[in-house]
Amino acid sequence: MISLQNINKVYRTKTIETLALNEINLEVSEGEFLSIMGPSGCGKSTLLNIIGLIDEPSSGNITIANQTVNGYNSKDMAHFRNEKLGFIFQSFHLINDLSVIDNVELPLLYRKSVSASERRRLAEEALLKVGLKNRMSHFPAQLSGGQKQRVAIARAIVGKPNIILADEPTGNLDSAMGNEIMNILLQLNQEEKTTIVMVTHDESMARKTNRLVRLFDGAQVS
Amino acid sequence: MLKNYFKLAIKVLGRRKFFTFVSLFGISFTLMILMLITAFLQTELGSDAPMTEKDNLVYLPAISIKRAVKDTVVERDTSYQEGIMIVDSTVTYPERINSHSRSNPSYYFVNKYGRDVVPAKNYSIYNNSSYDFFLNSKKLTFRALLTDERFWEIYDFSFVEGQAYRKTQVDNGEAIVVLTQKACRQYFGQESGVIGKEVVFEGQTYTVSGVIKDPKSFHVYVNAEAYIPYTNLPPAVLGGTGLMDGFEVVYQAHTPADIPKIKKELEHRANLFEEFRDDYATYNRLEMMSYTFRERYADNLYDEDDDPAQNLKTVQWLLIFLLSLFVILPVLNLVNLNISRIMERSSEIGVRKAFGAHSSNILFQFVFENVILTFIGGLIGFILAIGMIKLINESHVLYETTLGFNFKIFFYSFLICLFFGVLSGLLPAYKMSKVHIVNALKQNQR
Ligand SMILES: Nc1ncnc2c1ncn2[C@@H]1O[C@H](COP(=O)(O)OP(=O)(O)OP(=O)(O)O)[C@@H](O)[C@H]1O
Ligand SMILES: [Mg+2]
Repeated sequence: MISLQNINKVYRTKTIETLALNEINLEVSEGEFLSIMGPSGCGKSTLLNIIGLIDEPSSGNITIANQTVNGYNSKDMAHFRNEKLGFIFQSFHLINDLSVIDNVELPLLYRKSVSASERRRLAEEALLKVGLKNRMSHFPAQLSGGQKQRVAIARAIVGKPNIILADEPTGNLDSAMGNEIMNILLQLNQEEKTTIVMVTHDESMARKTNRLVRLFDGAQVS
Repeated sequence: MLKNYFKLAIKVLGRRKFFTFVSLFGISFTLMILMLITAFLQTELGSDAPMTEKDNLVYLPAISIKRAVKDTVVERDTSYQEGIMIVDSTVTYPERINSHSRSNPSYYFVNKYGRDVVPAKNYSIYNNSSYDFFLNSKKLTFRALLTDERFWEIYDFSFVEGQAYRKTQVDNGEAIVVLTQKACRQYFGQESGVIGKEVVFEGQTYTVSGVIKDPKSFHVYVNAEAYIPYTNLPPAVLGGTGLMDGFEVVYQAHTPADIPKIKKELEHRANLFEEFRDDYATYNRLEMMSYTFRERYADNLYDEDDDPAQNLKTVQWLLIFLLSLFVILPVLNLVNLNISRIMERSSEIGVRKAFGAHSSNILFQFVFENVILTFIGGLIGFILAIGMIKLINESHVLYETTLGFNFKIFFYSFLICLFFGVLSGLLPAYKMSKVHIVNALKQNQR
């Protein structure tokens, strides 16, 4: 499903050159739930962003869902993200001006040939899966952190993507709420066979996944 | 897709009440003010009747007489040549205006020097006056213009009843009067059916020969309550030989291109003038002050410069400056508001792009929001402007001036607002749409 070959990422500023990722080779098979761990600043987010095509590597090859994405232009990449990928962020990133249902519908807005009623139906379905259908017309400010993250999950799955990328999805939540989110992700992985790559700081969360990759200073250590 | 953007824009604007309010206020208020000013200028300076010939008119409302004296100025240049001092002296005679007097010309002057200016197609001589009289023991004042019959050829007043006085009536000095509807109402308590009735001004009786519609615009040298043949003026006024009194002349050119020719001819006549006698014996220069309609209007507001054309330019620039200020200030405000608002939405932009929005989607979304905002503001501005114009007309704060709503100007003002609305959304949105997704998501984490 995901294949990374010799990925390097270098950040250059005037004073310093950071090697954020160093010769990463990674294979993730279809339906796998992979977690990535490592100390702060070791390059976890950078790696996830590169898999998610919202950041480009300095060198290396990426193949996702049997498509080599090197050489995609920004429009192709936007299209690809829209069809195949779903994102969950540590700080939720819901749009405060929009209601819950409108937030969930968002990815479908950029997909041609989805009618308004179809968008609505899919969004309601996604909200049902995360148990928030009754909060449809609330605004993000009226929700708890755990509820916000569940809305974010609904948004990530509404377009039925092949891969979900989650960067510390439980990082801002207490352990009870974190477990709730983790259970939703596990269920998604088992029932829908969605491939999930998750960055986490929590060993107990990581243990529930199929495989654990550890990074240290931009390099894969296990 | 468009429907989506529309719904989204309405939702966002509804959620951001303060921003929406400030923007709408700015747009609608700007439009309203612009509409009021242009409506005012349109009625004051437009070519509505009776001013259809406005652009062909040249006025001679004043003459100016001066005493110019020649000074003798001696300049000495000293230089040294081989140790000997050499003095070079130059003598010049610059002119200096010693005394200066400016006023309306007299009948004697306009009769002798103001008639038959060849480049003009027609001209009219008239005197500006006013009559006090008592009606039901209430004191009233009517402004009166004492004119010749040609006055009615130059200005196309529309008559409610009766007609203007003709040449023979003027020549015979008939005591007749043309009144405005308003004057009729004041004097007789009715606006028509007064032909043949008599009015008494300062002891003299005049027969009403015509009633004209009240003009929308107001200019002292065109509008009055009563119009009377100038031959009704006392012999002392018409028979005197002084140069200055209360008369003026209006010349009608064939085309605006002939106006400079008329002015030139008047200037030429002034240069040939030699009749400096009696009170004016010590003077030696005469100037005939001629103005186009616009120049004369501007001169009322600003007359710092001797040249009326220059004064008109100054007034025009001042007006353009003020008008642009009215547009630019709210627009700058809007741009500023937009920039900070879009920056605030950096995380939104990041999320939208991560989920598949292309830069052009983002750009379109923000511009569309501004277009919607401008349209709503335009609508409110339209209603405000119409309401204000109605209010002003009904309250008579501008006296006789009646404002009209100019749809063309509204359309242009709206376009200006739209242009700046789009621009003010486009620039920051363009900047933000180009921001790298990862960076957009890092900012303003909520
Ligand atoms: N835009 C950037 N410019 C320069 N350096 C950067 C930039 N983004 C990240 N880095 C550097 O790259 C390295 C990896 O950053 P990254 O965000 O991937 O770490 P992380 O493992 O996700 O850390 P955390 O657990 O704190 O989220 C860090 O040393 C960071 O300072
Ligand atoms: Mg990170």
